[in-house]
Amino acid sequence: MFSLSRRRFLEAAGFAVTMAAAQGCRREQPENALPYVVAPEGITPGKSQSYATTCSGCPAGCGVLASVRDGRPLKMEGLPEHPLSRGGLCAVGQALPLSLYDSHRLKNPLKEGEKTDWETADQEIAKSLDQIREKKGSVRLLTSTVTSPTLQQSIDAFLETFDDGRQITLDAMSSSSILAAHELTHGIHLLPHYDFSKAEVIVSFGADFLGTWISPVEFTAAWSSRRVPTPDHPSMSYHAQLEGRMSLTGGNADHRIRLAPDEYGATLVHLKKQLARKTGTGIATEELPTSPLPNDELDDLVSRLWAARGASLVVCDSQDVSVQTQVNAINELLGNYGKTVDLAQPSFQRQGDDRALIELMEDLKAGKISALFVAGTDLTHSFPNRKVLESAIEKIDLVVSLAEREDDFASLAHWVCPDHHSLESWLDAEPVAGLINLYQPLVRPLGDTRSILESLASWSGQKETAYNLLRKNWQQNIFPRAKDKPASFRTFWDQTLHDGFTEATSEEVAGEFDPAGITPPNSESRSEYCLELYQKIAFPDARHAHNPWLQELPDPTSKVTWDNYVCVSTTMAKTSGIGTGDVVQIASSDGAVQLELPANVQPGQHDRVISVALAYGVKGTERFAKIGPQWLEARPTVAQGEQVGKNAAPFIAVRNGVVDYLRSDVQITKTGSRRQLATTQQHHSLEVPKHVAPHGAEMREPIQETTLAEFSDDPSSGKPHLHHHEGGELWPDDHKPANHEWGMVIDLNACTGCSSCLIACQSENNVPVAGKDEVQRQREMHWIRIDRYFTGEGDDVDVTHQPMMCQHCDNAPCETVCPVLATVHSEEGLNEQAYNRCVGTRYCANNCPYKVRRFNWFDYPQPGELETLVLNPDVTVRSRGVMEKCSMCVQRINEGKIEAQRLGQSVLDGQIQTACQQSCPSQAITFGDLQNSESEVSVAMKSPRRYGVLEEFNFRPSVSYLRMVRNRESDATGSGGDHHTQGGDHE
Amino acid sequence: MYRYIFNIVLIVGLFFSLAVFVSGMGNWRLPDNNQGYAPKQPIGYSHRLHAGELQIDCRFCHTGATQSQHAGIPSTDVCMKCHRHVTASFNTMSEFRRLEDEIKKAESNQAGGAEGTDETEESAGEPAVDLDELKKQLAVMEIPSPELKKLYDSLKLKDSKDPIVESASSSIPWVRVHNLPDYVYFDHRAHVNAGVSCQKCHGPVESMERVRQFETLSMGWCVNCHRDATKNGINGQHVHASTDCSACHY
Repeated sequence: MFSLSRRRFLEAAGFAVTMAAAQGCRREQPENALPYVVAPEGITPGKSQSYATTCSGCPAGCGVLASVRDGRPLKMEGLPEHPLSRGGLCAVGQALPLSLYDSHRLKNPLKEGEKTDWETADQEIAKSLDQIREKKGSVRLLTSTVTSPTLQQSIDAFLETFDDGRQITLDAMSSSSILAAHELTHGIHLLPHYDFSKAEVIVSFGADFLGTWISPVEFTAAWSSRRVPTPDHPSMSYHAQLEGRMSLTGGNADHRIRLAPDEYGATLVHLKKQLARKTGTGIATEELPTSPLPNDELDDLVSRLWAARGASLVVCDSQDVSVQTQVNAINELLGNYGKTVDLAQPSFQRQGDDRALIELMEDLKAGKISALFVAGTDLTHSFPNRKVLESAIEKIDLVVSLAEREDDFASLAHWVCPDHHSLESWLDAEPVAGLINLYQPLVRPLGDTRSILESLASWSGQKETAYNLLRKNWQQNIFPRAKDKPASFRTFWDQTLHDGFTEATSEEVAGEFDPAGITPPNSESRSEYCLELYQKIAFPDARHAHNPWLQELPDPTSKVTWDNYVCVSTTMAKTSGIGTGDVVQIASSDGAVQLELPANVQPGQHDRVISVALAYGVKGTERFAKIGPQWLEARPTVAQGEQVGKNAAPFIAVRNGVVDYLRSDVQITKTGSRRQLATTQQHHSLEVPKHVAPHGAEMREPIQETTLAEFSDDPSSGKPHLHHHEGGELWPDDHKPANHEWGMVIDLNACTGCSSCLIACQSENNVPVAGKDEVQRQREMHWIRIDRYFTGEGDDVDVTHQPMMCQHCDNAPCETVCPVLATVHSEEGLNEQAYNRCVGTRYCANNCPYKVRRFNWFDYPQPGELETLVLNPDVTVRSRGVMEKCSMCVQRINEGKIEAQRLGQSVLDGQIQTACQQSCPSQAITFGDLQNSESEVSVAMKSPRRYGVLEEFNFRPSVSYLRMVRNRESDATGSGGDHHTQGGDHE
Repeated sequence: MYRYIFNIVLIVGLFFSLAVFVSGMGNWRLPDNNQGYAPKQPIGYSHRLHAGELQIDCRFCHTGATQSQHAGIPSTDVCMKCHRHVTASFNTMSEFRRLEDEIKKAESNQAGGAEGTDETEESAGEPAVDLDELKKQLAVMEIPSPELKKLYDSLKLKDSKDPIVESASSSIPWVRVHNLPDYVYFDHRAHVNAGVSCQKCHGPVESMERVRQFETLSMGWCVNCHRDATKNGINGQHVHASTDCSACHY
């Protein structure tokens, strides 16, 4: 019979394959190019246009320059002229484009969870509202802080149509006690505007003002403006932080004192008393509790504050009104009101009024509410008692949510009337009295959503577009307030739209200090534990939990991604045997609330303080189960039926008329199970592992620091005395720099570690999201990592953050080992990576001393077709099997050079900005041409504080760092001692 | 026996494959080399006529070339700048006008005859014009021309060529001829503003009835030109054309 030898089979197979391959040499399917029908004026395909608008990440109201390319908003940048944010933008703001292209955003209104249209929704809601008006029912509109004058006007107009219509403001993290305290001490219910740029001495009690408190970008910009000493002016502000948990701000303080939040009151009373004695004013002194702070620490604070009176600032994030009245008294004693604390031009960035909220809860319980509208806030993550809400909702006739996604509350509502994304809508904002921002739409709404302005207008019985409503209000109310009296409303409007903001006059608010308002804090007996709920840098509120960029952003302090966790101190870890990754149960004493979460042992944490982040466990985050590559051994990012992290909001307490984020009645127990946290801390370490270090190897010092006292004597103090010989060029004839030589300097003194640069880079350079499992395998893809170093042992540690990306070494170790010349040096000093040449040997990553190269183990999947719209068309999407790393935004360099050539100019200093540099809130990053000796970067290179990481090995990095200077007299906490990156090895 | 059958099968297979292969030899090229590619376009637009005969500058339509990385395909309203008025070729239009005039004349003649006025001496000797024949000739004339009709149809224009209503109209699905891989960034602006002529890369487009890819557009071809430009300059101007990887790949 017919049979085939092996040899014959192989011959035939080989022939067939060859022929098939030869036939394959033909071109791909034709591709269409669709031009515009009518080209819009001023738009050139392929060129980005920047529009000034406002960030909607939180109510801080930072200015944004959004670049739109071919109809797609792609990149958020800071608006340099903006008086608050001064060109900075935080990680949350940077991540906004991804939430615009989110396929889980609602695309149409919902009725009882079913799709419906706007006409039906409007008719039926209007009908219900008419019935409520007839029976004189109560209507409540629950919003997050509304800074928009136009929206506020619409809300007022809408609520006026009811006999009992009220707006209730609920912040993701309330600062209601500051407003309430000012009502007591100054007779006005408002939040003052703090000016950190005028403060020489800053004392913060738990306020994480560089991370999450009120307006972090503004405060970072202001704070860092006084943090850069020069040899000519060796001065900088002094910043003391007294806090329980290890916050980003605490890590950046000159002096950090561990103090449990329930001890703030007693400490402040002592501080006030001592200051009162110095002024000689007779501010009533109450019974003194024992000071939790040692006398010498207290005296030091008092003398520093007193020396800088009028230029000092005391802030506190306590939700205890009496504690805040003490803060007000201290700022009054120091004469800070009118200087660093501005009441005349107050801030509107947090308006949450807890008393009204508590009233609402009572009303809900009593079933007094007929209609409830919720906009811009997710109740289950900031509302203290969800159970009350759930049972109350059944008694309400009409429940309407204006959420962008089907969040926890929206699933309970009768109607969901989705609002636009902020990049799709017209709006305005007045974050601080006298500064009014505009939002402008940058893309047509992607779904059938509707602006909240239009929805409210429609329910008030008037159909009007958001644009007309906004313009009308501006013509009537804002234009008369315009500061520099423009010729006509049209010029005023056009100018404001162009600038993104305008400065206007505002009513002068005058508050006289009244010592009678000071109330003594109740000195509770200290509990065993103190639970502190906090906001993470990446999530000011639960809306952002749907953003995978932010989920994978390593927390600057703990370096954990994709989870919330229980932070405990190293001492508590030792005494109760808890280690990082141990699942612990926190329960209230009455057992009503319980939560199981993995522990994270956090050096610097107060021994009694347990801290848990809010805004986790958000409904809908089940979607991330399959994010990242799906391969044989892939473990899901989110387990079946679970969400990212757990919701800690049930622990929020209502106490003395405020929503309190502290709880003393908690117990913590170890469950015995373990859950691995996806932390990036141990990844890509610069340390030489002990077992491979050559005998007698010197310790590498990536971080160099000094104190202000030493710096004043010797600006180059802090330089290590390492054996350092000046090595030659590896390729003296090669690598001749051409017209430019790009370099970067990062000022460690200004850098706070806020991680804004990390998301800026991710957005600019199409960096994929790897997922929790891949992060655990050390395969996160971020081109920048923020190295966090703890100095000192135990719990009193110093923190240093160091952004680490490709150093573009002139003698690059990666280049010499690439067998296919995929990574080579450019004539402009860049270390370039040609993805198409790379064959994936990974030799370069192994030979890179800075560990900044990232390998594409997979083709990282995009979560959906809509999500791919966020990709920057100017950067290649890397495929599986190639190495990638920071390119110093070479696409921006090329664009800058080509554009300069087009205009017949030379490239000016500062014209080309890398993505990380552009939106750094503290302007810690300088980039430019080293060949231009006048350029900012060349000047920074000459600073006596400059050093290169591992430069003793003659790599000649193009990225330099400026040594950290702490405002201290001498080495207080082991400076220059043992730097170690480990955070969790204290078990 | 089986060996014999197998050989026959193999030989037939070989012959068949070779036949297919040879027939495809005309298109033989390395992967991604599209030299000579000249796809049929949805509208038979002639660069020879517009750029060659009528000498319209390339940048009149491809406005992006000096401004942006993409030269760009002109939006349809650019076509309408002229084609609102020009609806067919010059010859067709003159023939059309001639016929129209003749018909008008013949009609007025007929009308004149019916009124019984005196015939002039010149016209008396001429043969009578066949009005129906003229009208028939006029009716078969294609105005607008079939290719331009596609343009007007895409814009949903009526005969009056009223201004374009954007919502009703649709883009013309031109087929891309020059298509570089996604990992290459070519910037028209940089080259055009440095004085590189369009023809240097696109070939004599002004002589092409249908545009075809003239050069290989391979990396070697790019790099050779960059080296040459750095060495010899462009139009006597000294230039620095980088041959760094990151000049094109990032």
